[in-house]
Amino acid sequence: MSQEIAVVGSPEFTTGFRLAGVRRFENVADDDKDDELDDAAERVLDDGVGIVVMHDDDVEHLSRGVRERVETSVEPVVVTIGSGTGGSGLREQIKRAIGIDLMEEED
Amino acid sequence: MATDVKPTRKELMAIEDRIELSERGHGTLEQKRDGLIMEFMDILDRAQDVRGELTSDYEEAQRTINMARAMEGDVAVRGAAAALQEHPEITTESKNIMGVVVPQIESSRVSKSLDQRGYGLMGTSARIDEAAEAYEDLLESIILAAEVETAMKKMLEEIETTKRRVNALEFKLLPDLYESEEYIEQKLEEQEREEIFRMKKIKDKKEAEEAEAAAEETDPFVDADVQESVAGGD
Repeated sequence: MSQEIAVVGSPEFTTGFRLAGVRRFENVADDDKDDELDDAAERVLDDGVGIVVMHDDDVEHLSRGVRERVETSVEPVVVTIGSGTGGSGLREQIKRAIGIDLMEEED
Repeated sequence: MATDVKPTRKELMAIEDRIELSERGHGTLEQKRDGLIMEFMDILDRAQDVRGELTSDYEEAQRTINMARAMEGDVAVRGAAAALQEHPEITTESKNIMGVVVPQIESSRVSKSLDQRGYGLMGTSARIDEAAEAYEDLLESIILAAEVETAMKKMLEEIETTKRRVNALEFKLLPDLYESEEYIEQKLEEQEREEIFRMKKIKDKKEAEEAEAAAEETDPFVDADVQESVAGGD
């Protein structure tokens, strides 16, 4: 079954992806992120897409529940870009499962 | 708890069987956990490479789109973005790593030629083409990162579950079983000692009775004589 790629973020962030052909997107203006980003992210997560792209900084605007869902979701998988760490959720999960911080050298 | 078990030989045998099974399971699960961690290390190396590429692709894509915005204006870039006809799609297949099903993502129509993009050649400049191309490369990296990171998340979940099972066996189930085993063994030993003591008592009593009976048989007038002598003394 083929699935789409979705992108959530500010209009500046999503435009580039739309230029590459991504048609499932949620634009949230920077000023409204605290209020509207949760709903936008949940709409996309429940939409049956395969991959959701978000900016690392936007994850900070999400409420606790949605943020946890974004960090642990496998279907769809959420890829965050921007800071290069791949999200703190994955790092925390590695620390919890393996017992040591394997991504430490990246900082 | 040890006090919940019945101190019977049958129960002891059942507990010994459970201990054997749990010890075997503990060993197997430990091997599985170690194997999963080794597989995870390989994936982690790959993930770090992919992350590095993703970051550089993102920086490049941002640089090109900023350039396009500066040269063509935001409206032109958004206009071109809205005109795209071909949309990238992904198909997911699954692969099994030590019992963990991880996805293999295949993408189609991510990289497109100029005429496939649909925003027209005349109305836009090479800057927009460059930005579109950079974002197509970025999408390829994102798809690869999604594949590797999903595999990592699934492996981590499995490692966590296995680790919890190993710990539950090692620190809860097996100690409880050993405790129950010891409790039953001690109880049975105590019962055995009580039984021996009881047998000894019975034996002593029986021997005393037999001795009394034997004494009566050999000298039946002893009692009468004793009574007479006692009466005479008075």
